[in-house]
Amino acid sequence: MLKTALKRIVQCIPTLFIVVMFTFILTRIIPGSPAATILGPQASAADIAAMEVKLGLDQPKLQQFVDYIGNILQGDFGPSYMYNQPVLDLIAERIPSTLQITVVALIIALIVGVGVGMFSALHQYSAFDYVFMILALVGVSMPIFWLGLMLVNLFSVQLGWLPNLGRGSFDISFWDGISHMILPCICLATIPMATFARITRSSMLEVIHSDSIKALRARGISERNIIFKHALKNALPPIVTVLGLQIANCFTGAILTESIFSWPGMGTLIVNAITNRDYMLIQGVVLFFALVFVIVNLLVDLAYMVINPRVSYEGGGSN
Amino acid sequence: MMKKILALALACAMSAGLLAGCGSENNATPSTDGPDGANGKTLTVSLSASPAKLDPIHYSGAYEGQIIQQVCDRLVEYNDDMSKFVPSLATSWTVSDDGVTYVFQIRQGVHFQNTKYAQGREMTAEDVAYSLNRSAQFSDNNRLSMLDKAEVTGDWEVTCTLKSANASFMTALTDTGNSIVAKEEVEGWGDNFGYNLSGTGAFYLDKFELDEQAIMSANAEYWLGKPALEKLVFKFITDPNQAANALQTGAIDMATQLSGEAINTVEKAGNGIELVKVEDLKINYIRFNSQKGPTADVRVRQALAEAVDFEAVRSALYQYDEVKAGYLPLPYGSWGYDASLESLAPKYDVEHAKKLLAEAGYANGFDLTINVSNTEERKTLATMLQGYWMALGINAQVAVNEWGTFSDTVCSGNSDVYAMSWSWYPDPYFFLNKLFASNETTAIGNGAGYVSDYVDEMLTQAFSVTDIEERAEYYRKAMEQAMKDYTGVYYANPYGMYGINDRVVDFKPRADGMLIFVTSEDGETISRNVSVAD
Repeated sequence: MLKTALKRIVQCIPTLFIVVMFTFILTRIIPGSPAATILGPQASAADIAAMEVKLGLDQPKLQQFVDYIGNILQGDFGPSYMYNQPVLDLIAERIPSTLQITVVALIIALIVGVGVGMFSALHQYSAFDYVFMILALVGVSMPIFWLGLMLVNLFSVQLGWLPNLGRGSFDISFWDGISHMILPCICLATIPMATFARITRSSMLEVIHSDSIKALRARGISERNIIFKHALKNALPPIVTVLGLQIANCFTGAILTESIFSWPGMGTLIVNAITNRDYMLIQGVVLFFALVFVIVNLLVDLAYMVINPRVSYEGGGSN
Repeated sequence: MMKKILALALACAMSAGLLAGCGSENNATPSTDGPDGANGKTLTVSLSASPAKLDPIHYSGAYEGQIIQQVCDRLVEYNDDMSKFVPSLATSWTVSDDGVTYVFQIRQGVHFQNTKYAQGREMTAEDVAYSLNRSAQFSDNNRLSMLDKAEVTGDWEVTCTLKSANASFMTALTDTGNSIVAKEEVEGWGDNFGYNLSGTGAFYLDKFELDEQAIMSANAEYWLGKPALEKLVFKFITDPNQAANALQTGAIDMATQLSGEAINTVEKAGNGIELVKVEDLKINYIRFNSQKGPTADVRVRQALAEAVDFEAVRSALYQYDEVKAGYLPLPYGSWGYDASLESLAPKYDVEHAKKLLAEAGYANGFDLTINVSNTEERKTLATMLQGYWMALGINAQVAVNEWGTFSDTVCSGNSDVYAMSWSWYPDPYFFLNKLFASNETTAIGNGAGYVSDYVDEMLTQAFSVTDIEERAEYYRKAMEQAMKDYTGVYYANPYGMYGINDRVVDFKPRADGMLIFVTSEDGETISRNVSVAD
């Protein structure tokens, strides 16, 4: 398994290189100079030219790319044009903030989603099943931006229970920190929650109607043991696959959620970076997101091996 | 089982670590009270964009200037209605007859804030000369490009020599980019000076959290007198609807730059929340390419301008009364505004427009592209123009891009027609030179490529004399010509829209949008000291 894991890690390197290359090319293809964007409409052509020299953007593109790759290999992701700080520092500063809502949202989504999915599967065609699945359908289809604004309108403006924006601080009080997280987390959790519910339900239904489960029932094993020890375990692989996708989706979902709630995380960072044509920061953040995707995929693959040892990545062999 | 418990414990520890957050304290300044928002003398204001660079020589956005404004002072300031210069760190000044030399008497007894390097020492003439020379040499936006050198010529005297006579120098001095800072702070913090900004201003910058907030506390030793506010917090809220929501929930006391539906929300909010508006020094306009394509012909430009009913356009675009009808390429608040030129603004006359097009050889119309940035207002405007011009047989395509691309297209002279807005100081130089001077054709101001020797001459003349009436006359002539050449249609003067809780006392919005909480009309005593009622 260690060999497989190492092999998978090595395979990630070309993927990341391609991401770096494409991001570099794409940022350079879009019209608009970072210098002009940074200096604003009042800048003269001479100011813009001077800023381009300062940022090294007057160099040939190939030279810029070679320099960038060289610097990355030395752990230098360059300075952000806009924030005038090392890109790595900015990313490191924002990761905890984004993880704070994505991790909590995923935990909520997983617990509620899998719970609801299981309940629906066990009570197939009941009123609960229909209500939950309709809600799950609504949840999957709901645009995050709209949901965020509706949540704010209800819980902040109308009821006055929760703050509508900002990160709050646990230094002020525990409630201040928690209350600021509730709406962004609900907003971010909704789509994964609904997805988990739907996938768990269908996966569980497939398993509980299988011959192996019928055989277990025939052996007189308690229903509780059948569900939690056998059925759930067998229903897990699709849920883990979806979990992998949803972790990645949560990070991209954070881009919108953070913008709605003025939450200072990776999402806000990349939106500002793109708006301001901050090449270095765009490249750094995209590489970070790519890294998250790659690591999550790797973990999902490894998790498969743990959940179901029959899964092999050694290349076609069967056990 | 043990493994599961261990995993659970680890997960809890990680979550706790994440929840603990990572806010960073940036400046070691004395804090006057408890946690953010914990007392009644805290004013919380929303800014519509997120500031990044607070070093005066690097700042580029008005929202960055808002923070610098509170922390630092300048030699002179505009008064509240922006009609005259008021002494600030300079007590008086004289200008040589040739308009090249300015001599400033520097205020004594002003102290820098008690920060890491300056430690509350007295500000001197050397600091003034240092700050101005620094800006002249290193300002990213060349905010003091007209200055040749600033020299200390007496204990409390600084002489500024300009490269050539330049009437916009005094206005430039009011720019937050030309704030007076302490050399040891700049050198001590190096590249991080912006994050640890300090000066002689009314507020200390206690904490600057990127994309989140700037927390400032009163400078009790402020030379004009102690600010009434103990704490001033700027929250960065980019969505105006969320700013309006925050105003309603009490999370902020004042929302700035409201637009669209947010205006309506604030207007109907009640509970002591008021919508306040002020005429901004801003114009909204469309410009026609004067160099390339069919619009290079003045008759075509006139036809395009006359084919559009701008009154109808205004009422469709601005449902919340957020603009005043505009006619000139100058805002009403500028001293160069001349109502007699309003009659030159194009009048809606489709038949005449068709005739003009036929004369120009385009009786069957032509293809053109309207470039706009990606905002609802501009997109709607472009669609409306497309509709109006269809009546002339013109097939207009709308190209919507976000700012970087839009700006690049316009600056490179590749836009047939574009819509945007312009805002700056009341001195007409900051509008007319930027919009019509031939040396600005590669910048976004005159990306339409308008070139007129006569206008250039008038603008240069206006630049080199200091008498305001004489200058106004040159600007009037330049404007008249630019309007007769149908450079564009300057159809609206927007209002600055604010949502303010009535707990805020003594606040007055200004035409340039600067938020000023301690002001003086004479440079000696406080005329307005904003506070928050309990």
